Amino acid sequence: MNKKGWIILGLSVIVLVALAFVFYQGQGREEIRPAAEEAPSARSLEPEQPLETRMITVFFLSDEDSLFHAELRRIGTSPSVVQEAQRVVEELIKGSEKGLISPLPPETKLRQLFITRSGVAYVDFSKELAEKHPSGSSAEIATIYSIVNSLTYNFKSIKKVFILVEGGEKETLGGHISLSQAFGPRYSLSVD
Amino acid sequence: MLKVEARDYEEYSRVIVTFPSTFPVSLDKNGNFLQVVITTPTAFRLKTQPLRSRFIKSFIWNTSSGTYLLLIEAQHSRFRYESFSIDKKRQLVIDFYTEAEGQTTVPSHTEEKAPPEPAESVEKPPAEAMPAPLPKLAQPAAKGVKVIVIDPGHGGLESGAKGKFGTLEKDVTLAISLKLKALIEKNLAYHVELTRDKDVDISLADRAAIANNQKAELFISLHANSSLRRNAQGSETFFLSLNATDEEARRLAYLENTSAQFEKPIEEKDQDQIMMILWDMAQSAYLKQSQRLAEIIQEELNVLLGTANRGIKQARFKVLEGVACPAVLVEVAFISNPEEERDLVKDEFQNSVVQGIYRGLVTYVKLAF
Repeated sequence: MNKKGWIILGLSVIVLVALAFVFYQGQGREEIRPAAEEAPSARSLEPEQPLETRMITVFFLSDEDSLFHAELRRIGTSPSVVQEAQRVVEELIKGSEKGLISPLPPETKLRQLFITRSGVAYVDFSKELAEKHPSGSSAEIATIYSIVNSLTYNFKSIKKVFILVEGGEKETLGGHISLSQAFGPRYSLSVD
Repeated sequence: MLKVEARDYEEYSRVIVTFPSTFPVSLDKNGNFLQVVITTPTAFRLKTQPLRSRFIKSFIWNTSSGTYLLLIEAQHSRFRYESFSIDKKRQLVIDFYTEAEGQTTVPSHTEEKAPPEPAESVEKPPAEAMPAPLPKLAQPAAKGVKVIVIDPGHGGLESGAKGKFGTLEKDVTLAISLKLKALIEKNLAYHVELTRDKDVDISLADRAAIANNQKAELFISLHANSSLRRNAQGSETFFLSLNATDEEARRLAYLENTSAQFEKPIEEKDQDQIMMILWDMAQSAYLKQSQRLAEIIQEELNVLLGTANRGIKQARFKVLEGVACPAVLVEVAFISNPEEERDLVKDEFQNSVVQGIYRGLVTYVKLAF
């Protein structure tokens, strides 16, 4: 090979090495991100949790009266409101720890949650929310507003809640109350 | 210019006649032909769009002094039609259903006449069949007789709420509805149409459709409540609630749509949407009356059942949304309460409930008419 050939070969090698270096660096960066975005449903609250937690409020019903009763719970914080909101819903599904009435069928799973810029939280539940629901106007109202109140109370950015089942709109949970619009909170609602 | 065109849809074939202005129109079925008589002294150019329809065979225009006659020839005579006009009567829409199709399909919301439009803008279909999901139930009432629609909640695979002793909401609602129908028809000059008279599934939208199809004076949906709280008890009468802000917006939109100030004809693709919007808001025009009806019925129930007066309530009941007449939903008692569950299946209790609703109806009717 003549001198020119060697120079070209040399430059190509340098370029290749440089590119490989850049990609390698990039790889490292990309790996870090997915961990932070991981779906929280894949993760439950374990004792060895992130260092920071906060108190949130979930609402249950009582046999004594027809009002919503607040129960405080501790959840792990997250820079993402969506993640914290998901944890609140999961606490609601877990049910009361103080003997109050839990308005969601225990088999219910939270599938997704997202919040629009205008403050509407779309909460997507598994089919059990409807299939295992006892039905009845009062029961449906209790379920709907325990979800709505629990979310709007804890997060300023959530003003209304839209309930979805299996990723789509459902007419009602048990044949009575229409789910076709977002609900605003009603903290002093009297639920028979 | 008078224009006619045809378009095929999955369940029907549609003919649209466009007029430059409003004219009196009458429809007449004659064997294979549907005759459209348009009365107008003015002469117009006629335009027939190229015809490509599986059911409409031809259009024939005839004219004699003062009238235009459009003959729509169908493939055969076994059809029924539904017609309505839009855009200040400048467009006449006629949907042709062949008999086979008519049996199996349920008229969708989009095919309903717009709830606010009173009878004058809709031609009555021929006597052979009413556009109803359940041909047996939807016999049109004798002319001049007013109709009340009673809706036994749930049915079929959807049993509604269930009591501790196994009582099903759907059975209780049906039993009470049948008793109520008998009492009303015996004493009042009304025909009562039930949305179901057997243990069958009916969608919430179809229940409202039956009320609208029958041009009901009133709609009463009967249910038994169920609560997560064991102690919940009593009867309650509800009417529809819309969110405060939503209600105003809807009222406005509703009024705007029905004032018919369109500058140009609504395009075909938009008509269905407008029908849908009007359907969802149908009940919003009747909320004051619904509230009144609910109050009156609840007062009577309180007296007869001895329940504490809790007043009436509002909630977003899906079944009430599309009903275009005063509408209420009565939760007669709590099936989740063992004591009330036992009452619900007793004749005595059912009769008291029926008496209460009936008396409320009588009072309301006296005040309203």
